Amino acid sequence: MNHTKTTARTPWALQSLALILTLLLSVGSFAQDKKLLTGVVSDNAGVALPGATILETATKKSVVTDENGKYTIEVTSGNTIEISFIGFETHIAVVNASTPSTLNVSLKESATMLDAVELVSVGYGKMRKSDLTGSISTVRGDDLVKGVVASTEQALQGKVAGLSIIQGTGDPASGATMRLRGGTSLTANNSPLVVVDGVAGVDINIVQPQDIKSVDVLKDASATAIYGSRGANGVIIITTKAGTKSSSVTYSGLTGISEAANNLDLLSANQWRQYVRENNIADAVDYGGNTDWQKELQQQGFMQQHNLGLTSGGEESGLRASLSYLKNEGVIKTTELERLSGNISGYQYALNKALKFDVGLFANIDKWHPLDYRVFERSFNLNPTIPVYNNDGSFTEVGGTLYENPVEILTNRRVDNERHRLLGTFKTEAKLFRDLTAIANLSLEHNAMQGATYKPTYAVLEGRTENGYAQRTYSEYTTAQAEVYLQYAREFGKHNVNVMGGYSYLENVYDGFGAQRSGFETDLFSYNNLGAGSNYRLGDVYSYKGKSNLVSIFGRLNYAFDSRYMLTATVRRDGSSRFGDNNKWGVFPSAAVAWTISNEKFMDATDNWLTNLKFRAGIGVTGNQDGIGEYKSLSILGVGRDSYYDPETGMWSLAYAPIQNPNADLKWESTRQTNIGIDFSLWNRITGTFEWYQKETNDLLYTYQVPQPPYLVGTMLANVGDLSNKGIELSLNADIVKNEKFTWNTNLVFGKNKQKIERLSNQTYQADVIYSGSLHGLAGMSNQFSQVIAEQFAVGTFWGREFYGFNEAGEEILSEDYKVIGDVQPDFTMGVGMNFTYKNFDLGWTGYGMFGNDALNATAMMLSDPNRMPSYNIPDAYYYNYGTTAPTYSSRWIEDASFFRLQTVSLGYTIPFKESKSKLRLYVLGQNLAVITGYNGVDPEIPLVSGDDQTGLANPGIDRFNNFPRPRTFSVGLNFTLGN
Amino acid sequence: MKFRITAAFLVLFTFSCTNLDEELYDKVADDNFGTTPNEIQALVGGAYSSLRGFQDGISNAFPTSEYVFFLNEVASDEATIPTRGTDWFDGGRYQEVQRHQWTPENGMILSAWRYCYTGISKVNAIIYQINKSGLSEEAKRPIFAELRSIRAYYYYQLLDMFGNVPIVTNFEDQSLPGNSTRLEVYNFVEAELLESLPYLRSEIAYSKFTKNVAYSMLARLYLNSEAFIGQARWQDCIDMCQQVTGHTLAPDFFANFATNNQTSNEIIFSIPYDQKAGTIGNYMSSMSCHYMHRFTISPTGDYPWSGNGMAAQPGVWSKFAPEDKRRNCMVEGEQISLATGSVIIMDSGEPLIYTEDIVNFTDAKQNEGVRLGKYEMKAGEQWERDHDFVLIRYAEILMMQAECYVRLGSPDLATPFIQQITERAGTEMPTTIDLAFLNDELLREFAFEAHRRTDNIRFGTFFQPWWEKGVSEPFKAIYPIPATVLATNLNLNQNPGYPAN
Repeated sequence: MNHTKTTARTPWALQSLALILTLLLSVGSFAQDKKLLTGVVSDNAGVALPGATILETATKKSVVTDENGKYTIEVTSGNTIEISFIGFETHIAVVNASTPSTLNVSLKESATMLDAVELVSVGYGKMRKSDLTGSISTVRGDDLVKGVVASTEQALQGKVAGLSIIQGTGDPASGATMRLRGGTSLTANNSPLVVVDGVAGVDINIVQPQDIKSVDVLKDASATAIYGSRGANGVIIITTKAGTKSSSVTYSGLTGISEAANNLDLLSANQWRQYVRENNIADAVDYGGNTDWQKELQQQGFMQQHNLGLTSGGEESGLRASLSYLKNEGVIKTTELERLSGNISGYQYALNKALKFDVGLFANIDKWHPLDYRVFERSFNLNPTIPVYNNDGSFTEVGGTLYENPVEILTNRRVDNERHRLLGTFKTEAKLFRDLTAIANLSLEHNAMQGATYKPTYAVLEGRTENGYAQRTYSEYTTAQAEVYLQYAREFGKHNVNVMGGYSYLENVYDGFGAQRSGFETDLFSYNNLGAGSNYRLGDVYSYKGKSNLVSIFGRLNYAFDSRYMLTATVRRDGSSRFGDNNKWGVFPSAAVAWTISNEKFMDATDNWLTNLKFRAGIGVTGNQDGIGEYKSLSILGVGRDSYYDPETGMWSLAYAPIQNPNADLKWESTRQTNIGIDFSLWNRITGTFEWYQKETNDLLYTYQVPQPPYLVGTMLANVGDLSNKGIELSLNADIVKNEKFTWNTNLVFGKNKQKIERLSNQTYQADVIYSGSLHGLAGMSNQFSQVIAEQFAVGTFWGREFYGFNEAGEEILSEDYKVIGDVQPDFTMGVGMNFTYKNFDLGWTGYGMFGNDALNATAMMLSDPNRMPSYNIPDAYYYNYGTTAPTYSSRWIEDASFFRLQTVSLGYTIPFKESKSKLRLYVLGQNLAVITGYNGVDPEIPLVSGDDQTGLANPGIDRFNNFPRPRTFSVGLNFTLGN
Repeated sequence: MKFRITAAFLVLFTFSCTNLDEELYDKVADDNFGTTPNEIQALVGGAYSSLRGFQDGISNAFPTSEYVFFLNEVASDEATIPTRGTDWFDGGRYQEVQRHQWTPENGMILSAWRYCYTGISKVNAIIYQINKSGLSEEAKRPIFAELRSIRAYYYYQLLDMFGNVPIVTNFEDQSLPGNSTRLEVYNFVEAELLESLPYLRSEIAYSKFTKNVAYSMLARLYLNSEAFIGQARWQDCIDMCQQVTGHTLAPDFFANFATNNQTSNEIIFSIPYDQKAGTIGNYMSSMSCHYMHRFTISPTGDYPWSGNGMAAQPGVWSKFAPEDKRRNCMVEGEQISLATGSVIIMDSGEPLIYTEDIVNFTDAKQNEGVRLGKYEMKAGEQWERDHDFVLIRYAEILMMQAECYVRLGSPDLATPFIQQITERAGTEMPTTIDLAFLNDELLREFAFEAHRRTDNIRFGTFFQPWWEKGVSEPFKAIYPIPATVLATNLNLNQNPGYPAN
């Protein structure tokens, strides 16, 4: 410790002196038949490897490469040197008179141990994985791009222990929902913070999976605390590909078809007729058709994806450019996602490498046509004997509730949405003094969405009642960030110190406007001439604007001793304009330690099999400020649709009124997390990580019901309640077979999380139980709830009556009392993958699953109403035993929704080109090939975010008519690299 | 060079900003509003617009449909919301109220409570806001009179429905209030109206709280005084009625319920609606008619969706003589499609014939029950209707006086009032005007105008068995305080007779 301090204080001048002395000594030794070697150690892509070891085997003398991969070593002629770096095959060279004094070495990667050397992004810097103290999982870009993936979330599925990704629906435009370690917030966004090339809080879809070099998922508080009030749900750090020393052209392309993986088994027209005959249903009307309403909505989706990347560079600079195009048709007619996306990045050194500039520009355009989800319920309702079209080609119409022709709904309206994303980054790194670097990172993100809808005068529902309806909307946000920080990194002797501190300013401005009109004399204008609509209402035009800012100071200290003991401490102080006046600033500290036992002397005996063993422990506090939103703490007046009649003028005017209960105490949700982890590596073949964590979220934000009187409105956003998540995670990666011809690699991630609401009320806010999981909107279920949020239970606990069977009259026998009848939380989640290569062939598959989770099959609940026939179609084969009374919500409809999905299977062949880095890989790929489940609905993986529901944890696991079937996809593709 | 780079970074640090005040763009801070006459008007307007109710994540609280209107209609002997299959079961909330077996958990009761207190809080907030403005005391007086009267209107509703409710008048006081007794609430309503009266507008100003409205509300208060506080004030009621001036009966009964009913001189107080003005909650017809009913209004079905819910209780239709013009406030019998000219056929294949009888109200057929059609239904209407919801009309002033004279033992004096009513309705004058006649006549005159529960209680019939309910205990004259309100405000006590929690 003493030594550390002394050295740390060593003035720069003294260090320079030391360097000069070293040089002098080197010159002196030259005379004794010694050779001074210098050079750069890099990987085979030309990226410099800092920290590589150059060992003169005879003398045991060694040096380490600097951050540019440079080394200088003096070697006795005739001796052997070993150039090694964890994760790479050791390079051995004999130094003799003919050896040039500049020896550049490029090391070959050794596949298994790659994890150990990767430089892991930790936020405001990178660290060697071996020096980490926190829980961080890394996924390499190559592993992300398998098949048609429009979003990075999708690509991460099943690859990170503890990160559960629930796919939205089968809609190609729907995103996925990410939950790390169970999530922390009832109402706020639970998605991890996304950091792209150092820019925090950006839209993950700004980056295409093909442009990603690596993704680092920061899981525990000691790792995420550097992001303070935004770190509670983990941080996903995306590093994009950059220019390299070797230039190359890559192309990857893929084309395929998709179809609905599963449908509900309803009565076909003939089955319907048979049913009517057998049951003597006199009122039944046979319309003479033969329609499978589900199939009528569907199509075979065609998709294609192309990505072209150019990379070049030299000693001082590098450039990379890529362009991607994706067109993915959904399995429901009219749905598709079309994306054009570009990325240019470059770096340039200046002033003899004292300055480095990085620029990046990401841009993309998405186009899609949102689906009117009402088609699904109708496709289950409609009598299968009703033909889709009348003889004259017009759509058939049979009146009735939820009985409109769904093909008509799908066809006769037009919705065109478009989103533009733009992210520009500019980073400057300046070496101020030897070990001190200053970094400035400026960025601007712009995200704009526009929507256009037209429902023609002849379209059922709104089209007709409104006599044509047109709408245009526009919304955008711009986030500007400026961050400056200083980094001091120094290695001396066995000590390795890295100190970082800085300041960050973020400003987010959002605004938007929209207009709608109805009452059109002609449908010729579509949505292009809103002024032609004669019927207008108050609220037909609107605009809004808001702004928030976040100011932070942050710092981190890393210290490692002898690659055996590591310590990290971070602190961040965040001030947010969203917070209430009484809580403007929050402090988020963390600390962690790690001990690499395998590097201890006493472990030498096990070195032959236990190649790495490391214990980590950390604790920290992080926050989530997403749930607050702007202006929520203030006493403000709004003008909305609140109008009043003025008898003097006979006109209507707008009233102004207070709109919310002010809450000056409003603040972030804070999560205290403890994490203990073990990293291990056996025989250089099997690597793994085991984690145990405990998270306690306090000051849980919820829109509480408050007593009226005295409160102005019945709800108020407030910080009350505690939520806990405890769990374990295991990641394993094994090279089961590895030889020249054949390799077999397997990886497995496993996560188990237990969630509990610890407390729901305090002195001001009293809530024994919050009813959630609304069934509102289902026939006869207005204002009914299926779940409770209650102390001692997990979020998503189904609460209702137990179903015991039917009595003789066919009525449901239900328990008197309400009780817990299910739980949406899975007992554990799992992801697994295997890769085989044989010569130039490769075969791989991945899958993921959730186990022990329940779901409410509300679709079945509504479909098994005995009153459905003959008006509404019913499921085939009575997979539910119909009673004689209308079904009510009970345990009868709670099903085990455990599943395992075979997500991808790919088979490829790589054609190498002799004496060049070029190669061509051809492959076939199947996605979503099989789902193993006992669940009776269309798909057991139920979107977490549905309908008007927000991003919070509340209301999960309810399957209610909105299941856009997930596609099963078959595609062929090729990857082509042309390099030199 | 390095110095310059360092300097550049230092400059960046110096520009560090720590200002965290929120900048408002599309909203206004309460400190900055209420200084100009226009702004004052916009604030007072908010008190009136609150009368239309609201819909939020907790409840739909509309006096014209869900659930405030539903609650009071279904508790009375004039309406029902039968369960049809799964439709309109909604956790049994309507069945419970129909049978007078409501519990503090019933969501409709919460809607009624929140309707009133949201309105009251809003008025309190507006008073607070105007108090901060630079207006002179002189200028404030008529504004406060108007605002306090609107607040008294809400407290009257609370007095009627809940009785022992907290009285809250200060927006800044955020402490949890305890109950006031029903008598205290009664006295408060009376005092607020009486104190405001001198400063209210004397002339007729449609939809505004004028002197006439205050007199009418006081008359209502005195009419129900016996039911509310056990002290009859029939003469006081008559006195107040006699203060009402300038209003007459509209020659056509249905002029009061037409789309442009704001032109009716009979209407003393109403909640104005206008689809174009973005008003919401006014879609009662769609809560009642069968979903294919729209073809009786327009050959192309150009009429909003209807949900086949609320209907008249069996017996109500037969209470009207066939010649009674007011019977058309209901839709009965075969429903003819304007497209085909023949009877509409429902999905089940059966004809759409609204029947008076409802055989099983927990599993009613789609066509059972006579529908509410008091307000005009016309082709091309939007979901939100344009007609204003009538709260007080001159016919009530006449009926109140008639009832008070009968109760004071002078039925002869009631004759001129009843004569006006029956003449317009096209019905016979009764041989004797007694309470039994008045009870029925109130139903015929004010069916589906949300008066009936109060009338039932005043006439005592509320506690006797009818249709789907047995004897009701006296404590059911007021509803329980909603469970969630009691749970969040421990200073409140439950109304007598109901489980304390």
